[in-house]
Amino acid sequence: MSLTGQSRCRRLTVSPEPARLTDIRRFVEDVGREIGLDDERVFDLKVAVSEACANAVEHSGGHHHPLEVCARLHDDRLVLEISDGGDFRVPGARRCSRRDDRGLGLPLMVALMDEVRIAKVRGGGTTVHLSLYL
Amino acid sequence: MQVSSKTERGRPLVVVRGEIDHGNSSDLQAEIDKYMQGGETTLLLDLTDVTYIDSGGVSVLLSTVRKLREHGWLGAIRPNADVRRLIEIVGLKADNGFRIFEDLDSVDTPADKAAVAEPATNSGAETTDP
Repeated sequence: MSLTGQSRCRRLTVSPEPARLTDIRRFVEDVGREIGLDDERVFDLKVAVSEACANAVEHSGGHHHPLEVCARLHDDRLVLEISDGGDFRVPGARRCSRRDDRGLGLPLMVALMDEVRIAKVRGGGTTVHLSLYL
Repeated sequence: MQVSSKTERGRPLVVVRGEIDHGNSSDLQAEIDKYMQGGETTLLLDLTDVTYIDSGGVSVLLSTVRKLREHGWLGAIRPNADVRRLIEIVGLKADNGFRIFEDLDSVDTPADKAAVAEPATNSGAETTDP
């Protein structure tokens, strides 16, 4: 399968803008369908990836580092890696937080995925790894 | 996402279609705010044709419930299974200020029975008091 193997991934690179979240969800849906996930898991994956991307978009801080979503299929899991050039932030702790419920993204990722890992990238940026056990 | 609204049986009904996300949830918030500013204590939200919602949309529901809870409630009409699951995860389903209805007709049944946290019952199962 085209997504199998450490070095093989299906990749989508977009500018960090809220309007691109729709494209990201279509990408995630295609990946999920391709490996035969059921509707519920596809929905969960779309929400979790959207949350990771929304966080990246919100904290891109005016920089225009592209947002990259990479899907890798391993023997036992599907991993979506969301990478951006900004630092992962705790919503609500930020000066321009608009609402009281901004902190829902991370709890939702944790609730919907089997594993969530957030890593700082040396030299700047953050990668969120979202895993779904198969 | 498309948002429209009307008055249905004396209550404001906001009808949403499509996907509610971080990019467009402020449009939904604005539509709801129109009624909130008018002093409404109950609000209906038709989610029948909502195919996707994430924390962008859920945060709108949460903030609306928070504002209405003391004197009224927010009623969600017919959310699909995925939307319902998210509503449950964030704890809205158990909130006094939030109700789920299977259709508009059930909104008018007595409030204590209409506050459905249960799966849809079939319409023939209604009980009659002696």
